[in-house]
Amino acid sequence: MINNPIIFYIASFLIITFALCSMFLKNIIYSLLCAIMVFFTASIFFYTLGSEYNAIIQAVIYGIAVPVIIGLSVMFTTGKNKTQKSSVLPLVLAIGTALFVMAFVYVIMISLAMSPDSFHFMDIQQFNSYDVISEFTRGIFIDYVWAFELLSLLLTIIIAGFTMLKIKGVHKWK
Amino acid sequence: MEITMYHYLSVGLILFLTGIIGSIISKNVIKVLIAIEFMLTGININFITFATYCGNDKFDGYIIALFYVGLGAVELATALYIFYLMFQKKESDNMESYTEL
Repeated sequence: MINNPIIFYIASFLIITFALCSMFLKNIIYSLLCAIMVFFTASIFFYTLGSEYNAIIQAVIYGIAVPVIIGLSVMFTTGKNKTQKSSVLPLVLAIGTALFVMAFVYVIMISLAMSPDSFHFMDIQQFNSYDVISEFTRGIFIDYVWAFELLSLLLTIIIAGFTMLKIKGVHKWK
Repeated sequence: MEITMYHYLSVGLILFLTGIIGSIISKNVIKVLIAIEFMLTGININFITFATYCGNDKFDGYIIALFYVGLGAVELATALYIFYLMFQKKESDNMESYTEL
């Protein structure tokens, strides 16, 4: 766990700012870009809270996969609308770029063990990677195996439903 | 200055409230779905905060947050597909156009 006020306040400011921008920008593409930044910033929160595994999952699923799905939906559904120009986009891109640069610099510093002295780590709960993976595995496959199987079944039903709708069409539904 | 549990909970609460307000005031269907994802992200921050600060010997909060991420992605994919199917009929992305399933 990283208990650094600088990282916390910067990440808090960014996540709230991007969330508000995402809600109040009129163009859906800019709103989606801000939402991506919110999801990445949330993964930074997870990392600072000591859950690196959740941070990676959040960054991969919410930061990459979910925006791709939303982007495809935007492409399929709003192609006829005119693109709205916004002066907020350069500011959003600048803040996003700065966030990424800071995150990468920090990760590189941590990996090279060159973190400044002000970056003090809490020593109340420290796990090595083997313990984390073993606890996650035990939780998913033993303690919460029914929830895991239910989620897998739900995914299978959704894929089967999509396939059925694609094959049969939606004319009956209309 | 030390960051406590309440700082993280406050951020999660603000994100959750932003999602609620956005889902109420937004007229675009996709924006409403993004707002719902914000709410789920705020809940996830709270889960992981409680798991970190209130003892996580079994990593329960982390694992539940993991399930929430999976369920959120599934919910979003389903909702977007339903929206796409309805868009073919309605030709509109305004929430007020979708008063019936």
